[in-house]
Amino acid sequence: MSELAVHAESVWKIFNEGATNEVTALSDVSIDVRKGEFVSLIGPSGCGKSTLLRVIADLIPATRGTVTVAGVTPQQAREQHRYGMAFQQAALLDWRTVCRNVELPLELAGWDKAKRKARALELLDMVQLHDFADHRPWELSGGMQQRVAIARSLATDPEILLMDEPFGALDEMTRERMQNELLRIAKETGTSVVFVTHSIPEAVYLSNRVVVMSPRPGRITHVVPVDLGDRNEDTRESDGFYDAVTAVREALRGRATPVGEGGARLAETS
Amino acid sequence: MASGTSTAGRRLKQGAISLGWALAGVLIAILLWEGVKLLGTVVTLPFETSNQAMPHVWTIAEGALAPEVRGSETPVWVTVLRAAIYTLLIAFGGFIIGVAVGLLLAIVMQRFAFFERGLLPFVIASQTVPLIALAPLIVGIGNRISFGPFQWGQTQSIMFIAAYLAFFPLSVGALRGLQAATPTQLELMRSYAATPRATLWKLRFPASVPYLVPALKVSAAAAVVGTVVAQISTGDRGGVGRLIIEYAREASSQPAKVYVAVIGAIIVGLIAAGLVALLDLYLTRNLPKERLT
Repeated sequence: MSELAVHAESVWKIFNEGATNEVTALSDVSIDVRKGEFVSLIGPSGCGKSTLLRVIADLIPATRGTVTVAGVTPQQAREQHRYGMAFQQAALLDWRTVCRNVELPLELAGWDKAKRKARALELLDMVQLHDFADHRPWELSGGMQQRVAIARSLATDPEILLMDEPFGALDEMTRERMQNELLRIAKETGTSVVFVTHSIPEAVYLSNRVVVMSPRPGRITHVVPVDLGDRNEDTRESDGFYDAVTAVREALRGRATPVGEGGARLAETS
Repeated sequence: MASGTSTAGRRLKQGAISLGWALAGVLIAILLWEGVKLLGTVVTLPFETSNQAMPHVWTIAEGALAPEVRGSETPVWVTVLRAAIYTLLIAFGGFIIGVAVGLLLAIVMQRFAFFERGLLPFVIASQTVPLIALAPLIVGIGNRISFGPFQWGQTQSIMFIAAYLAFFPLSVGALRGLQAATPTQLELMRSYAATPRATLWKLRFPASVPYLVPALKVSAAAAVVGTVVAQISTGDRGGVGRLIIEYAREASSQPAKVYVAVIGAIIVGLIAAGLVALLDLYLTRNLPKERLT
């Protein structure tokens, strides 16, 4: 178990169970994320990808099933600051400087002032925003704000990063730069990443495996392994990249033969 | 950083401009006053513009400098100023109590939805009781309150009324403010396993500032109005409220006097507003300018 960053088995999430407005957001979802692995969750709106991420993060409880994060329960993982989180909105606190924003999780984890400042500056170095430490978040561009959010999510040196469309609001150029930066950081820190996205090329470029989900009820339909080695700008132009993009696209349309992971057969979508 | 100092510089410049406008406002008020008087000599206006009803600005100024009563050493303006300071202090006390109670209520209502449902209607209902009806009641009850050496007096009653008016806008504004943090920010705090108290201090409170500042402004004004009206209805001799009533009685012989007292009440209001404006500058010092209210 210890070699798994995230282990989810037969997880169900049913909102308003028993009521007339009952919604099955996750239906019998099982997924393993190995240490150091980068896994993307992709699928149309309502497929439960964000719900799955929130269950892993213990922001909402699973209705049924087992979830283990860094070898402990999601609640323990949350309380022990074992994962870091980033969202589509950078959600920085306007009244704090960039540096103090990065310090926030450390403050809450009880670090002393000098130590957390040093750590925050180190992280801002990593996202190349050292010079902006004393600025306010609203003085920064969207891409820079998102880099601050990533630095903040890494503050407690978590084993796992949980990211919910963190680059969703960025323009294409910034987005590609951020993807490279995220890959570099994940590699440097050895962090496992669970990454929710709407973008097929983004999922393919970043991931070791792309988990394809489908709505009503939210479930995993395919797992597409991506083996492109170390990424660089040429990767985006390579045949292997296009092949993987096609594979994911086909999977999203529900046409492809399920790939990988023992090849669990896909039940045809009704 | 350079942007920090230029922000401060811009604020200072804005302050100077505001002061200019304030002085211009006073000048315009004087011109309007005299203009209306002048107009009244030409056409018939629906109100009295005689020197008896509307003394000239310079008559009011003379009235301010005149002795309080014949043969007295103290000029009227000193009496008014003393009363204004006394009123301001009571209003300030009422404001502080009102803010504390309002904040406490807002925190409780935000934290427990049960209290928001149960308490908010009472908070709103509390403001439908007319102040004039309330004042004698509070004085009557207050007279029977004493703990050891402490005896509830008129001052306490007036301060209570000021606080009673001040807590309402604050609690409503603060409640909205405490609920202003975005869902994403709240999820982040949860992901950090932040305690409710830490979430309150580090997220909800600072996020409430854009709602808190206008609420503070309204509360300060309410505290001043509450104090002046309570002083009138309780007959507190030291305050500006009572002075207005007293001087109004002398209006037939000294029409300028009552206006000096009214100006005193206005000054109390302006000082209160100015203090809150300073508080505003302090609270919003780190926020983007477009957020300023």
